[in-house]
Amino acid sequence: MEDCNVHSAASILASVKEQEARFERLTRALEQERRHVALQLERAQQPGMVSGGMGGGQPLPMAWQQLVLQEQSPGSQASLATMPEAPDVLEETVTVEEDPGTPTSHVSIVTSEDGTTRRTETKVTKTVKTVTTRTVRQVPLGPDGLPLLDGGPPLGPFADGALDRHFLLRGGGPAATLSRAYLSSGAGFPEGPEPRDSSSYGSLSRGLGVRPPRAGPLGPGPGDGCFTLPGHREAFSVGPEPGPPGGRSLPERFQAEPYGLEDDTRSLAADDEGGPELEPDYGTATRRRPECGRGLHTRAYEDAADDGGELTDQRPAFPAVTAPLAQPERGSLGSLDRLVRRSPSVDSARKEPRWRDPELPEVLAMLRHPVDPVKANAAAYLQHLCFENEGVKRRVRQLRGLPLLVALLDHPRAEVRRRACGALRNLSYGRDTDNKAAIRDCGGVPALVRLLRAARDNEVRELVTGTLWNLSSYEPLKMVIIDHGLQTLTHEVIVPHSGWEREPNEDSKPRDAEWTTVFKNTSGCLRNVSSDGAEARRRLRECEGLVDALLHALQSAVGRKDTDNKSVENCVCIMRNLSYHVHKEVPGADRYQEAEPGPLGSAVVSQRRRRDDASCFGGKKAKGGWGKKDGEMDRNFDTLDLPKRTEAAKGFELLYQPEVVRLYLSLLTESRNFNTLEAAAGALQNLSAGNWMWATYIRATVRKERGLPVLVELLQSETDKVVRAVAIALRNLSLDRRNKDLIGSYAMAELVRNVRNAQAPPRPGARLEEDTVVAVLNTIHEIVSDSLDNARSLLQARGVPALVALVASSQSVREAKAASHVLQTVWSYKELRGSLQKDGWTKARFQSAAATAKGPKGAPSPGGFDDSTLPLVDKSLEGEKTGSQDVIPMDALGPDGYSTVDRRERRPRGIGSAGEASEKEPLKLDPSRKAPPPGPSRPAVRLVDAVGDAKPQPVDSWV
Amino acid sequence: MSYIPGQPVTAVVQRVEIHKLRQGENLILGFSIGGGIDQDPSQNPFSEDKTDKVNGWDMTMVTHDQARKRLTKRSEEVVRLLVTRQSLQKAVQQSMLS
Repeated sequence: MEDCNVHSAASILASVKEQEARFERLTRALEQERRHVALQLERAQQPGMVSGGMGGGQPLPMAWQQLVLQEQSPGSQASLATMPEAPDVLEETVTVEEDPGTPTSHVSIVTSEDGTTRRTETKVTKTVKTVTTRTVRQVPLGPDGLPLLDGGPPLGPFADGALDRHFLLRGGGPAATLSRAYLSSGAGFPEGPEPRDSSSYGSLSRGLGVRPPRAGPLGPGPGDGCFTLPGHREAFSVGPEPGPPGGRSLPERFQAEPYGLEDDTRSLAADDEGGPELEPDYGTATRRRPECGRGLHTRAYEDAADDGGELTDQRPAFPAVTAPLAQPERGSLGSLDRLVRRSPSVDSARKEPRWRDPELPEVLAMLRHPVDPVKANAAAYLQHLCFENEGVKRRVRQLRGLPLLVALLDHPRAEVRRRACGALRNLSYGRDTDNKAAIRDCGGVPALVRLLRAARDNEVRELVTGTLWNLSSYEPLKMVIIDHGLQTLTHEVIVPHSGWEREPNEDSKPRDAEWTTVFKNTSGCLRNVSSDGAEARRRLRECEGLVDALLHALQSAVGRKDTDNKSVENCVCIMRNLSYHVHKEVPGADRYQEAEPGPLGSAVVSQRRRRDDASCFGGKKAKGGWGKKDGEMDRNFDTLDLPKRTEAAKGFELLYQPEVVRLYLSLLTESRNFNTLEAAAGALQNLSAGNWMWATYIRATVRKERGLPVLVELLQSETDKVVRAVAIALRNLSLDRRNKDLIGSYAMAELVRNVRNAQAPPRPGARLEEDTVVAVLNTIHEIVSDSLDNARSLLQARGVPALVALVASSQSVREAKAASHVLQTVWSYKELRGSLQKDGWTKARFQSAAATAKGPKGAPSPGGFDDSTLPLVDKSLEGEKTGSQDVIPMDALGPDGYSTVDRRERRPRGIGSAGEASEKEPLKLDPSRKAPPPGPSRPAVRLVDAVGDAKPQPVDSWV
Repeated sequence: MSYIPGQPVTAVVQRVEIHKLRQGENLILGFSIGGGIDQDPSQNPFSEDKTDKVNGWDMTMVTHDQARKRLTKRSEEVVRLLVTRQSLQKAVQQSMLS
């Protein structure tokens, strides 16, 4: 039996460009050949020309069509003997880059604070690279320019040629999907006359090296003579057919030869007598279907008992007209079809066997065909049919195709496994979750995981992980994937590709992560499953090496300044999800709970140590300023001692070690990927929430690592969700008293600017999402609560008019309510009332605003800041959630930005403006710059802790 | 800890891995180093830790500047150090004697 040998990966991946060039040359050569032959024919073969009006002398390219169609004319057969033999075998490797390729759904799932998940499906167009290898054989051409075949499929080679030309002419269209796994038409067909398991396959097996018994009437006999080239078999065995040069796959012809369906049709030729030549192919096929179907199915049913009957039963339900099956492709090739079929039909006059698409039940039946290449080809064809075609995907499921494909994942032949997996990848894609469920129901997940473990071939690994990624977007499958695949995905892909070494060798520098497609797919899959609630998080955290490897990969990304790619995004999202609720969920978390979760900052106070010299972070004491604060503030909050560890943290402990702050801050500084920014801010937000010791450390570490200015800077992001994540993170960070002062001083202007933008977007369509506005307002509320200085900052930033306007104008009850909470809080500072009244504000403005805003919601919480700040966000964003301060951001809303261009103009012009302008400077993360002198109106609070700029001494270098 | 240049040296070492912080264009570690074979040991402001290796590179025979460059290489986000210190050495010696 012919092998459907797979080329080695190396040859498949051979330089694309070169191959394309070669292919083009080949196409040209073929064309020339045809031209040549056409002329020959013109001279030699007048009797062959049947149909009137279309003389062989017609100018190209029409002439070729003519010639092609005449292929089987007696005349051409007669001239066989004289035809030139050109048994060259060219092997072509064509890489077809398809864009849009099979789109993969990326479902970003965010676990929100209340444990519910939000999922946002983002359709990301992936570039699917289909590498196909084909063997192009310059078959001996008959005088008519066609490969000489026996009664076989004259259309095959013709189609190839015509299509090639077609594409040359049209310059190629939008790429279609097809992995061209099928055997090449011309090359695949010819076979030595060895009738191995011939009888039962009937026509099916012909293209696969089994020659069916030829019934007398089947075809013009003399053709047999053409089959003898020894090269054919090699040529054939290489199998897959090329895409045409334009990157276009040719879907429609491929089935014909490998499956030999044309035999069936041919055998019907007599019935077809006088069949309307213009009749579309489907029509013909339909008419013939029962016949050929019988041939196929009888075989199929012999093989597999159970589903076969099903298939037959389904057949009637299957529309007789097969066109819908290949709709997209049909459209693009329609003109070609017409070219072929409308030509005055030499062929029909001579009862040319026609080619037709196999119908879906037939394709599925071929999945159980005993001949392996048939299986592989059927699966490949299925993949092609399913490309972006929900109807076909659904029908495959209804016809019970998924269990067949899943079963093939364990097939001994690599080619079969690969093709089956390719089909499953397309089938598992899309919003329709039924296919995902069906794949699960027939054991698809464990089978895929087994295949991943077994596969060394990179393409297969890409397919498997891509399929798992698709599956992972479906909630009920997440746990299944964790159960069956977490270990394998981690140890087969994540750890090795991350560059992390379990046993680092100190004599080598750390390895970098490799951003392979496999890694990207796998991290995407884990990203999705990591959102499946507490149990999923627990499993992932406790999966040995996973957190270590993800961290290492991210560190490597930062080190190489390669932080914008999808893999990084996936990794950060996993980290963010795993950081969610660490303070409640990790083993032994209660040991670290802080006694007094109550008043803000108290936890910090209880933790801090008095130590005035530079901390281990190299931060010098802040100069000046702090003395002006009240007594508590005067003390140094910087010198929080981190707990001493006896051994290095590993596994999930790494999630919340203060060291990760540096990583997230680097990402926030470096990345331009909004999802990555959002996730990194979300991770800090998660880590700084909660009342355990580690959150306290994290909050202090963010400050010491000069993270506050980084975050404040991101409040200017054009991307709504980044602003939101950052705002919420700042709120959590301000649970640290000193952070609160710093944020109040330096972030207020930006926060107020966002409030202002909420009402008057700087450009149309840039309005902030409601959630974002509410998040910003809650952050403002948080930082003005319990801090007179911060309330004063709000006034100086001209926040009051902005808030009042928002309350008055906002369409959103939540926004108005949040804004009025802030106003209430401001008014509660008696010290400020004087200046407020001087500005013309009255109590009514503050209270009534609050009252009206609260009106619909019922009684306002009296005195409300304490329970309005934190819970407000919780209530509004997270429903049931109560009490805890972490908020998971993550619903991936569209990037709806607002401009920050005019930010300077928008800076407050009030009393404090001069001061603010100069104070803005330290916000920049620039170690070399000293903080400017404090502005006149503000105490010199430095948002940046002093850098340990050690004096340059000869023997002492700051590294 | 004294030794003869060029001869193998035995020391009790501590392995340290540091992930650097990106600061503008630079990667910084967050501490100061002193010494170097071009420096006067008596002027050395630090005497506790000695760095023996950085990412596999021998640091026992480098100038101050070479050490600084090696530690702050921009292409390496992580450094792995082998450091030794007198007290560690003594502790080990004592435990072996007793």
